[in-house]
Amino acid sequence: MNEQELHDAVSRLPKSIEPPRDLWPGIEARLARSGAWRRWYWVPLALAAVLVFLLIARAERSAWDVTALAGRPLIGTTRLAASGRLRVGDWLQTDDSSRALIAVGRIGQVEVRPDTRVQLVVAKANEHRLALARGTIDAKVDAVPRLFFVETPAGTAIDLGCAYTLETDSLGNGLLYVTAGEVEFQTGSHASRVLLGALMQIRPTTGPGIPYVEGAPAPFVRALIAFDFAQRGTRARAIRTVLALARPQDALSLWHVLQRVDPALRGVVYDRLAALVPPPPGVTRRAAIALESRALEGYWTKIQRIHFRMMVLRGVREIDPRTGLAKP
Amino acid sequence: MSDDLVARAQAGDQTAFRELYRQHAGRVYALCLRLTGDGRDAEERTQDVFVRLWDKLRSFRGDSAFSSWLHRLAVNVVLNERRTTGRRERRVMSAEDPDTVVGAQHAAPLHLNIDLERAIAELPDGAREVFVLYDIEGYGHGEIAQLVGIAEGTSKAQLFRARRLLREKLER
Repeated sequence: MNEQELHDAVSRLPKSIEPPRDLWPGIEARLARSGAWRRWYWVPLALAAVLVFLLIARAERSAWDVTALAGRPLIGTTRLAASGRLRVGDWLQTDDSSRALIAVGRIGQVEVRPDTRVQLVVAKANEHRLALARGTIDAKVDAVPRLFFVETPAGTAIDLGCAYTLETDSLGNGLLYVTAGEVEFQTGSHASRVLLGALMQIRPTTGPGIPYVEGAPAPFVRALIAFDFAQRGTRARAIRTVLALARPQDALSLWHVLQRVDPALRGVVYDRLAALVPPPPGVTRRAAIALESRALEGYWTKIQRIHFRMMVLRGVREIDPRTGLAKP
Repeated sequence: MSDDLVARAQAGDQTAFRELYRQHAGRVYALCLRLTGDGRDAEERTQDVFVRLWDKLRSFRGDSAFSSWLHRLAVNVVLNERRTTGRRERRVMSAEDPDTVVGAQHAAPLHLNIDLERAIAELPDGAREVFVLYDIEGYGHGEIAQLVGIAEGTSKAQLFRARRLLREKLER
């Protein structure tokens, strides 16, 4: 075994290994013994547990509260006066002058903009699912990832802890704009991840396009869209433009491009990505080009971390988009 | 959501702290297991890390990612423990007991990694620590020298030695 083979083998080692037994009881006991575990916290926690139980029980009733924000939206065939309940299977429809606010169980809310048609599909504590047939919604969810889903004619938006605006026409042409956290959009096995401050085009046949940051240069965005949705010859030209115009801030786009270009082009895309945002330790060129999930996830974590730092600290500290570190 | 969990745990929310444990236990345990080369020690050190975390949590200011901060805390806990006790007597991860290393819960194709994990566990303590910190965890020699309490040159020499020993073991 040579040095490189050893290096490659090390890079394949799992970063995480679950302990063979649950270590939590031991930790809890030690904290309790030492007095560090402040026992009075159990009181509000117990109350919170009861409250959560009641809320979950309520959410299980398969209906969500709806409030009219403007005009008189329809639930089924009934005009909503001020507020009402949206039950599983019900359609909520707004016209050009009405808007509504849906309480997504107890985990968030969805504002339904004018000219929108949306259906409640599942209302359970562990799955909250709407179908957006057409129109625009603004969703805001505060929950663990993958509890809230919005189906569109072109695929499904999966909440990873976030706020976003999703619009679609009845065919599935649409746009996703994430304003907090992260959203995954999935069509079959085809998926894109969109971070806050990023947008993504959606099309009926191809599903999610490649996300790009808000404010990305227009020629870069045009080239990305051409790469996503145009014919093969155009795609080849588009990819050259994408690589030429990409900036470190566009790493999240290139990470997606890497997985969608012809295998022969992956090396070029990887090299450009690595030049803009160097890969984290343990991610090798070979593994990334082979689309090994550990390498891709490792790279994504770094890109995501840098992106979040840049967004969160925008206007406060200048962040190096290659490293995520504050500039001196 | 992780930021929210950290904030809640900092405020004394034990449920949030338990969720932090759930999210990070695997990463911490993997680090402890490789640094100690001993399954039982690794379990103890993992518990030490989270007990220490509860005490230190309020000092986390968000200057770095929480996972990075916790990782650094874990390295310090393991290395401090070794410095304190100065012992390395047990080696649970013997060639006869590879399951101790890999457990039974990995998503990755671990059968490919068993030999390497075992070989790492069998390295001499100093070489193993430097190898784990440098080649697996991505620390630099300067940082390792500071953490382990050795000279930078020693760190480089230990790394060279570890890699040579590993190549030899894996070629057998």
